[in-house]
Amino acid sequence: MVAKGRIVWVSGPAVRADGMSSAKMYETVEVGESKLIGEVIRLTGDVAFIQVYETTSGLKPGEPVVGTGQPLSVALGPGIIGQIYDGIQRPLSEMAKKSGDFIGRGIATTPIDLKKKYKFIPTVKKGDSITGGSILGTVDETPLLTHSILVPPNHRGGVITNMVGEGDYDLEHVLAETQKDGGYNTELKMYHKWPVRHPRPYTERYDPTVPLVTGQRIIDTYFPIAKGGTGAIPGGFGTGKTVTLHQIAKWADSKVVVYIGCGERGNEMTEVLVEFPHLLDPRSGRPLMERTVLVANTSNMPVAAREASIYTGVTIAEYYRDMGFDTVLVADSTSRWAEALREMSGRLEEMPAEEGYPSYLASRLAEFYERAGRVRSLGLPERSGSVTLIGAVSPSGADFTEPVTTHTIRFIKTFWALDTRLAYSRHYPSINWMLSYSGYLEDVAKWWKEEVSSEWFELRAESYHILQREDTLKEIVRLLGPEALPDEEKLILEVARMLKIGILQQNSFDKVDTYCSPQKQVKLVKLIVRFYKEALKALREGSPLADIRAMPVISSLLKAKFEIPDEEVQRLDGVENGMIEQFKKLQSKEEVKVVV
Amino acid sequence: MSESAAIEYTKVAEIKGPLIIIDGITKASFDELVEIETSDSTRRLGRVLEVGHGKAVVQVFEGTTGLAISGTKAKFLGKTMAMPVSPELLGRVFDGLGRPNDGLPDPIAEKFLDVNGEPMNPERREYPTSFIQTGVSVIDGMLTLVRGQKLPIFSGSGMPHNILAAQIARQATVVGTKEDFAVVFAAIGVQYSEAQYFKRSLEESGALRRSVLFLNLADDPAIERIITPRVALTVAEYLAFDMGMHVLAILTDMTNYEESLLEISAAREEVPGRKGYPGYLYTDLANNYERAGRIRGKNGSVTQVPILSMPADDITHPIPDLTGYITEGQIVLGRDLFRKGVYPPVNVLMSLSRLMKDGVGEGKTRSDHMEVGNQLYDAYSRAQEVRALAEIVGRSGLTGVDLKYLDAGDMFESHFLKQEKDENRGLEETLSRTWDVLSTLPEGELTKIKEKHVRQYYKETK
Amino acid sequence: MSSSSPLERTVDKVLSQKESELISKIDSAYQESLRNLDSSKSKLNSEYMVIIENAKKQAENLKRQIVGSSRLSARNNQLVLIEDSVKTVFEMARKRLLSLHKEPDYEKLMKQALLNSLNEIGKTDLIIECNKTDSGLVRKLVDGINKEKGTKMVAADENVDILGGIRATSSDGTLTYDDSIDSRIERLKPLIRKNIVQILRGSERESWSQKVE
Repeated sequence: MVAKGRIVWVSGPAVRADGMSSAKMYETVEVGESKLIGEVIRLTGDVAFIQVYETTSGLKPGEPVVGTGQPLSVALGPGIIGQIYDGIQRPLSEMAKKSGDFIGRGIATTPIDLKKKYKFIPTVKKGDSITGGSILGTVDETPLLTHSILVPPNHRGGVITNMVGEGDYDLEHVLAETQKDGGYNTELKMYHKWPVRHPRPYTERYDPTVPLVTGQRIIDTYFPIAKGGTGAIPGGFGTGKTVTLHQIAKWADSKVVVYIGCGERGNEMTEVLVEFPHLLDPRSGRPLMERTVLVANTSNMPVAAREASIYTGVTIAEYYRDMGFDTVLVADSTSRWAEALREMSGRLEEMPAEEGYPSYLASRLAEFYERAGRVRSLGLPERSGSVTLIGAVSPSGADFTEPVTTHTIRFIKTFWALDTRLAYSRHYPSINWMLSYSGYLEDVAKWWKEEVSSEWFELRAESYHILQREDTLKEIVRLLGPEALPDEEKLILEVARMLKIGILQQNSFDKVDTYCSPQKQVKLVKLIVRFYKEALKALREGSPLADIRAMPVISSLLKAKFEIPDEEVQRLDGVENGMIEQFKKLQSKEEVKVVV
Repeated sequence: MSESAAIEYTKVAEIKGPLIIIDGITKASFDELVEIETSDSTRRLGRVLEVGHGKAVVQVFEGTTGLAISGTKAKFLGKTMAMPVSPELLGRVFDGLGRPNDGLPDPIAEKFLDVNGEPMNPERREYPTSFIQTGVSVIDGMLTLVRGQKLPIFSGSGMPHNILAAQIARQATVVGTKEDFAVVFAAIGVQYSEAQYFKRSLEESGALRRSVLFLNLADDPAIERIITPRVALTVAEYLAFDMGMHVLAILTDMTNYEESLLEISAAREEVPGRKGYPGYLYTDLANNYERAGRIRGKNGSVTQVPILSMPADDITHPIPDLTGYITEGQIVLGRDLFRKGVYPPVNVLMSLSRLMKDGVGEGKTRSDHMEVGNQLYDAYSRAQEVRALAEIVGRSGLTGVDLKYLDAGDMFESHFLKQEKDENRGLEETLSRTWDVLSTLPEGELTKIKEKHVRQYYKETK
Repeated sequence: MSSSSPLERTVDKVLSQKESELISKIDSAYQESLRNLDSSKSKLNSEYMVIIENAKKQAENLKRQIVGSSRLSARNNQLVLIEDSVKTVFEMARKRLLSLHKEPDYEKLMKQALLNSLNEIGKTDLIIECNKTDSGLVRKLVDGINKEKGTKMVAADENVDILGGIRATSSDGTLTYDDSIDSRIERLKPLIRKNIVQILRGSERESWSQKVE
């Protein structure tokens, strides 16, 4: 029986209604005469506490509340890719058609176009038995993506009694009918619904071993994240969180990217919408929008829908994972999601913990990041996919000891700490190399060794060691000045500067520098490490440091990242040869001096 | 507009802080506008913050001073707060609630717009890419303002933020067009003299007739400040998206706005978030700041320059902190430069314009613009480090290159940053000055600039 | 030429030395004054230019200011005039509304107002206020409705100064429902003003165009 109650109290997005004894927890309800969408988040007696996903201005006690009998769900089927949704999977383009340039209220939309026809190629036939999660067939959703039509994971299985042939069907068309003993008969379509707050099930979980290649040098080379892994990127404002996340969304070698703009700027979502259709995937050469889904609940959109947007996004990512794809979910920012949680909690007058956040903040964060992973999917045929979760954190006052940051750190394995000081000196990405870490370093080393270069691990370690030594030397310089150091240590400072400018800094807005292939990454690091070794040798053989500093090759090394594109990576060999020549000259100059 | 009669309630249960709580409510809705009549028949406005179980919590904009439990009447007007709009708002002055303050009659409304506005659909936004020339070198060269951007000025008490804002308002032009900006100015709890300075500055430049002013001064009711930015932005949106004008909205001082929000939160006994500020502060600020931008297929734009004073010059204070997370960059004024007598005292290292990359470059300004901007940051940042070092080890402990950076830093401040309050520099002049500064450094130091630009613009020292 | 004495020669020498010294001094002084003159001329020139430049700027500013403010004040005067006409229209309307009770539908309107007040306040024991002219009618209507609906409305003893319509208050005095003609005018004022202005402006534009012709 559907619950029918009346509003008794309204305060912002929080509404209480009585007469709701038949309502279920997390049931979606229609609130008020304008049928605003809400969700039951607490039940006490016959009073339901409802969070409303739309502005409640003008709502008054006495207006009706009607249950839908359904938990908050997303519709999963072809047509999701390329969309921009609000936090509860309403397509923003549909909303614009109905309410214009500004978002109105009580707008009913369908999340995916149910009338659109796709060419369906069945992979099972009448008489086959299926289980939950099995693949019925495929359709081409975009030129980049062959979409597998899945049996809903909670399907109890059975034998196919009827199956359509290859052909064009819309989403409502029944593709297969199944039967199971005990009268469990079902009809399967091209889409199904899934409640967002329930993780989609899988058969088995694997350890992550393959890196997610992002084309960002400091990430791939120094602090890699694995496919199916978790990462957080905390940073104060102006440190470039969003730019870094955009870079990952653009260049990560993943089949599907779900980008959640959660309580962030409207213009940033527009930027993605404007930019992605024109950017080409470096691997397939197709527009990035053909693999991207956007969930946008900007900071000025209703706060409750912001809370839901994270779950909407991760459920979509899991769905594509279940087809056997690698997916990446980028959430910007989880802090705004936590604030939405705090606001609702406050309105419900729950007992607050640190800084007013509810006591269940940590467990909600844990549940969210637990939805990452590389898994073997349910059903047949056998396949595996992954969900990589990357969350931005926006700590108040850039203070990493605040609750959202500290709790997040407990549940993630890659930590990219953005540094306000680096940002102030326009060192971008402003990922601090002393504070950041990756728990996947050992896991992905094998991949690098086999796929890119046998030297990767050592080069990374050697160059990182130079950066570490610079960090300690900096203290001395701060107290005594650079002239107080011996030449070998001054050389460390010089090479560290080269690493910072030539490797760690990367210009997202430069056509060439925005993406750096793994091959080029290794080569660039190798050049600078080689420079260090040669310079050290020259220094020990008596060349003055000033001469080394004046070598023209330094400038070429520093500009190689944007002067030499990926396709011409062999030009770096030329730079290397030039470097060796210059060192030889340096040496012969010394010899001349000695002879004189 | 509701045309049915409204009910008037007289049963006031409680008055606390800026709130009154009314009992026996049969018909009231969330966010509804309320007219309150005191026992001496003066009227105040308020709005419903919470309603249910026969009670309504009403926030009174003009404050509750002088209200009594008996003799106070509240009329629920059946609508949310709305601002009458028409093209004739231009050249007018209003109070903090949008009522005429210039002795002229009420505006004749083309329509009434809810002051809360509605969120712009991100899918309908047009991405901001048009360069606004402000004639202020440091902004045009390094912190470019773009049409539809929200770029706040973070300041401290006594610093010339309003002078800078007025200069921007007078000088702003979109390069390549002769279009002038319409100015919407909201004074939020500022002193009379500051508001007057702004008004006079608009008057003297003849810009007053394309301006709309909203004045809530320091001695005006504090709770009114919750509404002041909202009415101002409502008018800005109307001028931009209904009238097709380019609007520059200046809101000063948002810190006062927040203090009022805090006052209400305290009266409601809400659980505080960080440093005593309400947990919804971010969302609330965003609801104001996000009312900037452009819409696809429409001519106008709203560019926002909110001003806020940082309590104790502390940028990590919740107000500047949360603002910085929402706005597209920030212009930070520095106490040190101010003391040195540099105008505008912009601390460039802490400042940023996120949209600059999209507003400058080939075809918009000049192809080297972004690179020189970045290189200047780098150079000045290095100069600051060297300055700090020189204080410890003396100049003798510095390398030759370090000394060049010291010179570049000094020249940056005296030749590029510093300018007159009425000096309107063209873009070419600004960029030429950037190269004057950068050319004090050896060519090899310019690692952020492409070879071809160095060859083209680097000025060899004679 | 007589041979001069060594003394004379010395004097001569000294004299000629002094002379050339003097000449060179005079010369340099002359040169300097020329230079001074030159530089002060160019200084004067540039200062003159600055003054002219400033004056131009000021004149430009002043022009903009004057043009801007005169246009603005003209517009503002217009707004005041329009408002005056609006006020006149409202005054006339008020006078006309005083005879509203003579309209045939007035009784219907009053009855509806009473029913609305019952509905809106949600109570049955209401005190009804009206003006002196309407008091007979209101009493009659109140009795009628009370009989029909079993409500307990009472017409107030004192009359109030309103144009027409009623004001209902719950017997405990906590709720008031104001449906007087006065309050209706107040509520509709912004819309009416807009209409009046449209009419005024329309005729204004017509008269202007007639003048042009």
